[in-house]
Amino acid sequence: MKRPIFLFNLLLILGLIVSACAVPVTAPAAAPGEQPAPAAQKVTIRLATWAGVDESAELQVLLDQINSEQDRFEIVHEPAPADYYTKIQTALAGGTSADLFWLSQEWIAGMAAQGALLDITDFLASDTTHPAANLDDYFPDILKTAQYQGRIYGLPWIAQPVVLYFNRALFDAAGVDYPTADWTWDDFVAAAAALTKDLDGDGKNDQWGFTMNGWPPPQMFVWQAGGEVITADLSASPIDTPEAITGFQFYADLIYDDVHTPPEAVIQEQGFGEMFKAGKIAMFMGGAADDLDRVPGLDVGVVRVPAGPAGRPTFAWTASTVIAAQTKNPELAYEALARLTEKIHGWKIVAPRKSLANVEALVAAEPRKEKNAAAIVEAIPDMRAFNIIPRHQEWDTIFWGDFMDPLFHDQGTAAELAPKIRPLLEELLP
Amino acid sequence: MEAAIQSYWPTLVRWSLVGGTLGAMMYLLNTGLQRVGVKRDVARGYAFVLPWIIGFLVFSLYPFVYSFYLSFTEYNIFQPPRWIGLDNYVRMFTSDRNFWPSLRLTLLYAFFNVPLGMIGALGVALLLNRNVRAIGFWRTLYYLPAVLPAAAVALLWRWMFSPSSGLINFFLQPFYALFNMEPLAWFTDPNLVLPAYVIMGMWGVFGANAVILLAGLKNIPRELYEAAQIDGAGAWAQFRSVTIPMLSPTLFYTLVTGIIGALQIFTQAFFITTPQRAGQFLNVLIYQEAFAFRHMGYASALAWFLLMVILVLTLLVIRSSALWVYYESERG
Repeated sequence: MKRPIFLFNLLLILGLIVSACAVPVTAPAAAPGEQPAPAAQKVTIRLATWAGVDESAELQVLLDQINSEQDRFEIVHEPAPADYYTKIQTALAGGTSADLFWLSQEWIAGMAAQGALLDITDFLASDTTHPAANLDDYFPDILKTAQYQGRIYGLPWIAQPVVLYFNRALFDAAGVDYPTADWTWDDFVAAAAALTKDLDGDGKNDQWGFTMNGWPPPQMFVWQAGGEVITADLSASPIDTPEAITGFQFYADLIYDDVHTPPEAVIQEQGFGEMFKAGKIAMFMGGAADDLDRVPGLDVGVVRVPAGPAGRPTFAWTASTVIAAQTKNPELAYEALARLTEKIHGWKIVAPRKSLANVEALVAAEPRKEKNAAAIVEAIPDMRAFNIIPRHQEWDTIFWGDFMDPLFHDQGTAAELAPKIRPLLEELLP
Repeated sequence: MEAAIQSYWPTLVRWSLVGGTLGAMMYLLNTGLQRVGVKRDVARGYAFVLPWIIGFLVFSLYPFVYSFYLSFTEYNIFQPPRWIGLDNYVRMFTSDRNFWPSLRLTLLYAFFNVPLGMIGALGVALLLNRNVRAIGFWRTLYYLPAVLPAAAVALLWRWMFSPSSGLINFFLQPFYALFNMEPLAWFTDPNLVLPAYVIMGMWGVFGANAVILLAGLKNIPRELYEAAQIDGAGAWAQFRSVTIPMLSPTLFYTLVTGIIGALQIFTQAFFITTPQRAGQFLNVLIYQEAFAFRHMGYASALAWFLLMVILVLTLLVIRSSALWVYYESERG
């Protein structure tokens, strides 16, 4: 009696396995010129991003549009807001990567060098239909973050320049003139000092002119002084040139000094950006897309960053969408990338393209920025991105741990530290 | 929606396949063992532990052995591992500027955390061993840290150590006023990072170890104390000559698990930002090498070194146990 029951169970299990093996086969990609496959057989193109809930909802609207505009593929969004890069790398290692995924500037060269990303140079060269594939329209400095050894591995979808946000009420109360587009470092430092105040008379400052904690990037001030941290040909890290030292020391003299900026412990407790939103900081350097100019109760203006001795370059945070080298559908993944990038350029500010670097395009993408759009557009020509090396994470670890951290905490001047650190950084250059 | 189902389908298939295969293997093992004369209960027992054994082999033993192989390779996870012999170990000991500071910080943390944690846990256990009211409530309260998510606890402690709004500095205010000193900056002062971690770490081990030690205390026969009292032993003599020897197997257990746990500190260090000058724990260094730099081979070598450190310390404790651990069964 028992044996038939066991056999029945075994058959049931085997049946389950066999039925599970009946995988629905995805439709092969239609070759260019062929009729699109029926909608039911669309190929799934997976897109991994770090988008949170709100950003995902906005992105999904774009994806729905793309998915309804053609019949060959369906982009499925797989957001991973936490521990994003660990997940991306693990999926790549396990052969289960999404076809498309976002990478911020410092990750692309390293992954491209190790063969994880699809080289899309030839796809782009033969693409005459998608505006986002026109490389001449991109700002060259931004596009280079998606390049490695002259080949292209992704399409940048944002170039967010740093601008100066200022709280008008605090300027009015202190009787200090608002920042202007032709401000220099000297104007900026003088205003920051005048706006740092002990308002309640307890002997401790409770309002500061400016704030910094490693953000904005010190590299930006080095550029403004005429220096560089990694040369364009990636052959040197000249952090000890007089220009670079001027930029680093300018930063070090301001940070945590309680004369222009809050002490470190105060920032840690009260939050970096939160202090500006709480009306305790008069000036803040933030990305153009930040929400600092729409805080309820604050009247916030935006202006270009002040100029240093060598000009006004401003750091542009950049991210790209890339294609995994292991994708099974390179052509469709590329098609999805080109369409998606075009959509994102109409959503995120600032789009890294010359044709979209105007007030109209910016306001169309982000109507809430209408008031300060002109100031942001004014900053666009000064945008500059990092020069990225394949081992950039390691370079960054030394740059911050061995150079910036001691510099910010008075463990040495820029002139003393930079010559010691330069050889360590240059060991990591390609 | 359809696309979402389609993309989930392979996962569902894999899941069903694994479940079905495991079920079939359990069935075959059960019938096979019974056919060769193994008792029905025993055969079923093996069949039921089979999924665990397979899980252990696939998800623990295989990665364990593979990571040993990887420690002799250069492996960036995107390209096949490349054999480089002992280079990773040579680099670790000779040219990695972060390795020795990390090892020092990790060992110092364990050196302070383990004994202080044990003393604290013993104190709590002795208190709970007295006939206090609502003993169950107190035990639960003290054990609570052990079941809370480590990440949440780390964030809570970050706030507790906050220089001007944290609880710890609030309670230390009279002390600061007495000595006319600035409030301590804890996690932002490189010199105070280690003490802050030790204090935070003790909170976690207090509860878990206190419950184990309490169980040990409850097992000490009352007659021993009565006999000691008749012989004129005071409280300290009873503690030294009865409680400690009888509790030594439990202390031994908490010491071994404490050393292992302290050397593997990761979650707290991962969630609390501290100045880079303060150094980083070995496990954080391993994570950084593996997932930030994609040096999987080198990270594997570091992990194996950490394992060796733990193994050597554990063996030393076990070897020393003959001198200080008293087992009732070993009379003589």
